[in-house]
Formats: sequence, structure tokens, C-alpha cells
Amino acid sequence: MIPATPQELDSLAGEYVLGVLEPEAAREVEAALPHHEELRRAVAFWQERLHPLAALADPAEPPPEAWQRIESRLDAPPAMAPSLWRSLALWRSAAVIAAAIAACLIVYIALAPPAAPAYVAVLRAPQQQTPAFLATGDRNRLLVRSVAPEQPPHDRSFELWEIPPGAKPLSLGVLPADLRLERSALPQPLADGTALAISIEPKAGSPTGQPTGPVVFVGTVLAAK
Amino acid sequence: MDRLRFPGHGDALRWTVIMDEKTAALASLDGLVLAVQRGSRAALKRLYELESRRLYGIALRIVRRPDVAADALQEVFVQVWQNAASFAPERGSAAAWLTGIARFRALDAVRKLGREVLSDDPALGDRADEPDMAAEIDLRVAQGALRRCLDALDDKQRRCIVLAFVDGLSHAEIAERLPAPLGSVKSWVRRGLLALRSCLEP
Repeated sequence: MIPATPQELDSLAGEYVLGVLEPEAAREVEAALPHHEELRRAVAFWQERLHPLAALADPAEPPPEAWQRIESRLDAPPAMAPSLWRSLALWRSAAVIAAAIAACLIVYIALAPPAAPAYVAVLRAPQQQTPAFLATGDRNRLLVRSVAPEQPPHDRSFELWEIPPGAKPLSLGVLPADLRLERSALPQPLADGTALAISIEPKAGSPTGQPTGPVVFVGTVLAAK
Repeated sequence: MDRLRFPGHGDALRWTVIMDEKTAALASLDGLVLAVQRGSRAALKRLYELESRRLYGIALRIVRRPDVAADALQEVFVQVWQNAASFAPERGSAAAWLTGIARFRALDAVRKLGREVLSDDPALGDRADEPDMAAEIDLRVAQGALRRCLDALDDKQRRCIVLAFVDGLSHAEIAERLPAPLGSVKSWVRRGLLALRSCLEP
């Protein structure tokens, strides 16, 4: 668990930056970083303040072929998922099925009274007041849309994450160009206190399944009663 | 996004002109990483020219094997290229960001290999005579808050923090190196960090 007292948080962040945490504890810190502003600030503090110590390591000449080897990897496409996932036919049929399910859902939603509580969240940049995205939904569905002119940097995407309390971020997908994303069948049902976050990722989304870029907008889900 | 991420370009340019050469070189690291964010390969190459010796040295000190350090350096620059967007100038300097990436990639390599396969080449490995750490810090770490606060730590706390940060040693490895009981090392690291924290930002 990520400690609550500022002192314990500071020493955990310091141990993380030093690299002395056990792998499991280090992974826990990494998973918490995207949605834990104070932890992120504490890690940034140590990273910045301890950095002058790195001057104790003597600079050394890397092997002459090192740059060429780096350059040869710059064009390599990011690691691909197994070929099934690249199959166009699969995606076509998945799209047809999804459309059919969506059509059924619309009928269902129109006819059925809302059973589950509705949830809302406002996503903002850390330390900013202006809302950037609005999220509305119920336990199993979510609609996220942009309410500000924010755009991802050139050649990058915004990726949406669902972070159930105390758990790792779950990807809800890359936001399309219109920055509007509708999801049903969420990987985890929404609940009071679930966090939503948007990070900057490579164009096709995070290659690791976890946020790799900075988290630029965050918000917490509340039941709209 | 531009509003959040690239503040005051005009100011940066004006300041660069009047700053001394070394500060200007550091300020331009930030500019170079921001250019890499926008997809500039030339900026990545320039970053490599400016920083590869320093970052390779950091990795070599941790992994202690040139071939492994070279692989780690490769991972560092590929990560910088693919993940430049994770650099945010309002959170810290590009130099510290690069140092962090180099240390984490070197630590990954060490964990993957296990320490036992590390070189026993005396030029790279443990030194027989432990150098006077306080004197080395005074000699090589830039004058400033960190140096002053490290000087104020007790000797054991300072040694633990330097062995972890610079040599990439784990608690257990520090305990073996000093030598000291593992529990003591853990508490020296923690107390050292807390003392540093309150000294750096009272």
C-alpha cells in the first residue's frame, strides 16, 4: 500500500528513486504514480534533487557503433500483438457484432428504467481548475468527451485509463480524433472513488498495457444521486 | 496542450544568450528533449552527442561491464525517442530526467543478470580501498544544497545513499559492502533520506 503520511510517502519515493525497493514494491509505486499526485511530486523531488550525485560516476566513451545501433531501432515498429489481433477479418466481424450489441443496448436502454446509479467525473489537468473532459455513465458504461481545446502532442494519442481504488490502471482505449470515447462492458464496473486518467501515449496506445507517458488529466468518479 | 507543455519559448531564447556557456548547454538539453517530443531525429542525435558519455558512465558504474552498459545506453536512447512525451519541463530538468532513465535501465540490466556475473576487473569493480566518500563528494558534486545537506548527514547514512544512487546497490548489497546488518542499512537509508528531505526543503 502507498503510505498516507507525508513522511512515509517521502521516504518511499526516495527509496524508489534510489532503486532499493523490492521489485514488487517498485511496481506498486509505478502503478500508483499516474493517479497519485503527491507521490508523483515526491518522486520528481528526489529525481531532481539527487541528480547532482550522478557526477560521482566518471563519464566514459561508449563503443563507437552504439549510435548506429540506436538509430537502426528508431524506425522499428512498436512491438505488435499476436497476429490474430492484426487480422482484418476478425476486426470486421467484431465490429459487426459490436454494432449489433450496440443496437440491442439502445433498445434496452430506451425501454428499461435505469437500474444502476449514474456516475459522473470531471477530468482536469493536475492543479488546474478548468475541466478538460467530462465522463458520464453507469456501472458498466462510460462516455468521455472533451470540453476544452486540449489536443495530444503531434504523433501522440490520449489514452483513457480506469483505476479502481487500490488497483492498477486498466486501459479503456485511445481517444479518437474527436476526443469522444464511449465504452460499454468496462473491465471493472465503475464505483464511487474509481479514478479516471488520461495519459499521453504513442499513436497506437501504450505498448505495455500500463501508462508510459505523463498523466495529463485526472478525475474521480462520483455517484450522481 | 501547447499551453501546458511549452511555456515561454521566447523567454528561454532570450535567457540563453546571456547565460554562461555551461548553463546554456544545460538549458538547451530541455530544448532538445522538447524537440525530440516533436519528432526531431537531429535533436536526438545532438542529445546523444552531448549526453552519451555521461549516461554511459552512469550505467557503467552500476553494471560494471562495458557490453552490458552499451546495451543499457541503447535502451536509454530508444526510450527517450519513444517516450519523450513523458518529459515535462515544469516537473524537472532534462538532465535529471535522462539520469533517471539511465539509472533505471542500468538497474534493470543488473537485475536481469544477477550480480554474480559481474566483472572482477579491478578497473571497473569494487575498489580495494574504499575512497573517502565525503571528500569525493566535495570534489565532484556541484556546490549547492545537495552537497551541503549530504555533508550534514552522518557518515553511514551518506555512504548508504551514495552506494544506492551511484553504484546501484540494493540494501543487501550495501549490507555486504559496509559490512553491516541488513536492518541497520534499511534504517540508515530511510533516516538519511528523511534528513536530506528536511535539509533540502526545510
